[in-house]
Amino acid sequence: MITFSKVSLIYPNSQNTVIEDLSFSVREGEFVLVMGSTGSGKSSLLRLINGLVPHHTGGILAGEILVNGISTQNIKPGGLAHLVGIVGQNPLNGFVTDIVEDELAFGMETLNISPDVMRKRVEEVLDLLSLSHLRTRSIASLSGGEQQRVAIGTALVMHPKILVLDEPTSALDPVAAEEVLSILHRLVNDLALTVILAEHKLERVIQFVDRIIHIDADSEARIGTPEEILKDSLIAPPIVHLARALDLPVVGLSVRQMRRMTEPLRSRLSKLPDVIEDSSASGSELVVLNKLSCGYGSKEVLHNLSLTIFEGEIVALMGRNGAGKSTALRSIVGAITPRHGSVTVSGRNPTNMKGENRAQLIGFIPQEPSDLLYGQSVEEECSQADNDNKVAPGTTQALLAALLPGISPHTHPRDLSEGQRLSLALSVVLSAQPELLVLDEPTRGLDYTAKASLVTQLRNRTVLLATHDVELVAEVATRVIFIADGEIIADGPTLQILLSSPAFAPQVAKVMAPAPWLTVKDVVNVIEANL
Amino acid sequence: MPMSTPLHPFLWWVWATALAISTAKANSVVLALLTVTATGFIVVLKATPAPWRGSFRWALKFGAWVIIIRVIVGVLIGVPVPGRTLFVLPMIPLPSWMAGIRIGGAVTAERLLATAHEGIILAAIIAFLGAAASLTSPHRMLRLLPIMVYEIGVVVVIATSLFPALITSIARIRQAQRMRGQNNRGIRSWRKMLIPLLEESLARSLELAAAMDSRGYGFSRKRSRYRPEKWHTGEYAITCICILSVARPQYFLVLAAIGPLFSAPARSVKTLRGAIG
Repeated sequence: MITFSKVSLIYPNSQNTVIEDLSFSVREGEFVLVMGSTGSGKSSLLRLINGLVPHHTGGILAGEILVNGISTQNIKPGGLAHLVGIVGQNPLNGFVTDIVEDELAFGMETLNISPDVMRKRVEEVLDLLSLSHLRTRSIASLSGGEQQRVAIGTALVMHPKILVLDEPTSALDPVAAEEVLSILHRLVNDLALTVILAEHKLERVIQFVDRIIHIDADSEARIGTPEEILKDSLIAPPIVHLARALDLPVVGLSVRQMRRMTEPLRSRLSKLPDVIEDSSASGSELVVLNKLSCGYGSKEVLHNLSLTIFEGEIVALMGRNGAGKSTALRSIVGAITPRHGSVTVSGRNPTNMKGENRAQLIGFIPQEPSDLLYGQSVEEECSQADNDNKVAPGTTQALLAALLPGISPHTHPRDLSEGQRLSLALSVVLSAQPELLVLDEPTRGLDYTAKASLVTQLRNRTVLLATHDVELVAEVATRVIFIADGEIIADGPTLQILLSSPAFAPQVAKVMAPAPWLTVKDVVNVIEANL
Repeated sequence: MPMSTPLHPFLWWVWATALAISTAKANSVVLALLTVTATGFIVVLKATPAPWRGSFRWALKFGAWVIIIRVIVGVLIGVPVPGRTLFVLPMIPLPSWMAGIRIGGAVTAERLLATAHEGIILAAIIAFLGAAASLTSPHRMLRLLPIMVYEIGVVVVIATSLFPALITSIARIRQAQRMRGQNNRGIRSWRKMLIPLLEESLARSLELAAAMDSRGYGFSRKRSRYRPEKWHTGEYAITCICILSVARPQYFLVLAAIGPLFSAPARSVKTLRGAIG
């Protein structure tokens, strides 16, 4: 279906090849995952398949790419529209019309498909993706998961043979992500659709895929079955790390496989007493929300929220897309004024704080860390932060070097990878030594290495973060708060909350259940201590 | 029960144009004000929550400025109108060949009223066009346009979908920078914001263009239409009232303004009958 032979790609004004001498072929009905660290060329690889690269982006392409027998060299992306459906990282940016049904029809209209065929296909896709109740809704009013489904729908109505998705679940909560992936799984099995997908959160996809294309840092690519690739790759989901830590002969890809393989071990360990770390807060009150209600326009997002966060806690705010997590964060950092109730941070009202006072109280990293940055180079950004926060020159630069060494100070912030940009924003914020650090969805688009460095940055501070990333929460949080419909539905120590909900339990916990361990490290510690 | 199908997008422009012509023809402040009020009701009742919904409000604001400016200009410059003098402004001497025109001078009640009258009629016309803009989705309009102008249409799609996004981005970035402890006043703060904003808008436009490209846009010269928009009885009836109003504005203007209301009751009567029987 897709054949890459000796493909190399280089972008204009760049010295390094993005992809070098890559050859592989994908058969019909395969589900292929493209993995690699950020900036390794995953997106470029995906966009090569329908010719967006190089036709749309520029760049020099060597070698040949055949898609269903057609070479992408000579044909524009539009000419492959009936063959390849592509869903971008942020579906909202790719929508052309404003109503779900019109959006589904748009691609077919441009291909001059007759109206009755269009009607039939729109119905089919609405049913296939269970979107029919949303057909007349405005796209902007849909939740993230629904938008992602519409985006997949717009590709499927064209009856493509290949579906290409770039991080389809990175912005979704675990439940919505599960929904999207199970739809993909069904399409592969029922319609023999070929699916190529890039994803950082491997734990979500690994059990569905047939093969993996792994691009490593020096743009070497390997292709193989998940077992082969994951046996020794640096990037691996927690479940694979668990298998390696336990010296299992093969790596398990699903919780079911791993439970079978760890059965003897678990029966031995079941006699052990539970080792639960006592993580109850000891510090003084830092953030106090008292019957807080917030909203936009006529919509009330938070109702009567009361909450206290103590010094030294790392609190994770979890919940579905649109549950009110971001609103809660923004009211705590003082970006929105509450309708009722009050917010105090360290006894002060955050809404009317300015300048360095604010910076020393609260450090806030928004969903797009680049919103904070406006300098022309990393160096300029850092010295600006030193100035703003009235600290000794070089403080921010030193912080950055400690967080993530090896960033050239002359780079433009735009040219940094997602992980590097987050580190830069973090060091800018942390240079003021804020009492509270607030992060909104920090792991979106981060690979495992960047995530690991984030985890070390968060330790030993008072942190509040909103996230969908269960594995990050298991790793770093001391306390978890669940929000649904603007109300707190669960609040307690990480261990207790994560284990009580199957959708939000990390993989290691699912494998080792009923033992209360969340991470590979927990398991290893217990085994070392007791065997 | 399906939602009542929205009226044809062209109808709203026919309606607004007819109201504008009739108002100009009737030349009555009372009628104009009544019609604008009626139009306001229609906008409140019929507009869908969409970024362009605010057009009517903007048109009203703009209209208010038009009235103010028209009155100021009318009072300062113009031909003398005889009548009761309210106050006298100092006159600026003009060369003799500009006889008949003067700047400043006596301001009579008649002159004030006449300029206010003109200003109100003008503002009303702007309000009608604003109402039509609030009531029609530019995207639906574009799908009705002939394929020849479709290229231009795409530019408009990108612009119309980017503009609301731009507004939200500005708010978001300013907020984030305020959270960093930045001062939000002055030109310097706008310069700081401009960089992330331009980057984001550019990236977003490229992404949209790429999405349109990969969905086959512009590949085929012919383009089919999903669910063609049709002109139904309701649309015909409203057009008739609009024609009547252009012919005899003094009788039919207000009726034409609330005309679009009558397109729905026919359906609700049917629903009611269905519910009873």
